[in-house]
Amino acid sequence: MFWKQSTTGVNTKEVKAILDEKKAKMKLSLKACAHCTLCAESCFLFMGRNKDPKYMPSYKFLNSVGVLYKKKGKVDRLDLGEMRDLIWERCVLCTRCYCPVGIDIPDMIALARRVCRSQGVYPQYERD
Amino acid sequence: MDSSNSFFWTFAYDFIRGPMVWAAFIVFFAGTLFQVFRLLSFTKEQPISKLTPGPGRFIPKKADDKGKKDWVMWLKLSIAGVNPFMTIVSTIFHVLLIVMPIFVLGHNILLDNSFGVSFFSLSESVSDFLTIIVILCVAVFLYRRLFLDRVKAITTWSDYLFLSLAAAPFVTGFFAYHQVFENYRLIISLHILSGELMLMAVPFTKFVHMIYSVIIRLTVVSEYSLGRGNRTW
Repeated sequence: MFWKQSTTGVNTKEVKAILDEKKAKMKLSLKACAHCTLCAESCFLFMGRNKDPKYMPSYKFLNSVGVLYKKKGKVDRLDLGEMRDLIWERCVLCTRCYCPVGIDIPDMIALARRVCRSQGVYPQYERD
Repeated sequence: MDSSNSFFWTFAYDFIRGPMVWAAFIVFFAGTLFQVFRLLSFTKEQPISKLTPGPGRFIPKKADDKGKKDWVMWLKLSIAGVNPFMTIVSTIFHVLLIVMPIFVLGHNILLDNSFGVSFFSLSESVSDFLTIIVILCVAVFLYRRLFLDRVKAITTWSDYLFLSLAAAPFVTGFFAYHQVFENYRLIISLHILSGELMLMAVPFTKFVHMIYSVIIRLTVVSEYSLGRGNRTW
């Protein structure tokens, strides 16, 4: 990246500490994902939302944990906000998603949720 | 071609056919072993009785019923039932990717010349036909990457790179066998080089899914585990 991303309002050390707890599994899972999209039909939201690719388990996994890993936890509030929509609005964490390679997608989504929660980014209904 | 150029190509050709073959196999086998143990270290053994039966497995109704698995139901609920075309294409591709190089006649002649041992060899026409099948499978994958919205949504440049790397030994092997290009030596060098690069890439790049899927699906218990599986993450 040519510019330094502003991480104001995000405790990046805390984010990194959470990621480090599952770093090896996260790294290997991201590497093992073949981007085959064969997990798509296992998500009832994907099937119920006219097969919108944004509901695919792999899309949610790569655009949450994938972003956190790529940026080494140095994310901003905007990144976390986008992640919140992805991992709460488009995923109910029902754990029914199925990866042919064997990636534990629910665990990875749960990790991204944990990071968001640690920074106070989560849906309104969880606050109430 | 001047003499210095000729020297370079002779050196490169000999290097690709000699030390680099050994390096490729050592990196492949050592890297694979490393990844297998690494994966096993991420999972831990758990008594299977603690895990509840999933779809495709009958929940025991009587005390003596051990909860027999309904394999038809299991298959219907798996990707084979949901996406049979891709299951067939992907299975054929991966099986041939691993099996083909071992049973190609040319490879076995090289083995025999070097070590005096060889595997059973496929006839040249069968190998040629199977190579075309692999290339067609690659074409299906490429079509999906280029034109299907769902695949495009998560495709990166590395997907094209690794698909090319997986296809390269087969495409160059096909060209070399049919002597499509005049410069046979260059094509066969590219064939050997691409095969070596692929072998070395397996344990450390996106190709690690080959090791990952076998180990995880065989050892970690889930409704769709291929083995008995007595481990969890």
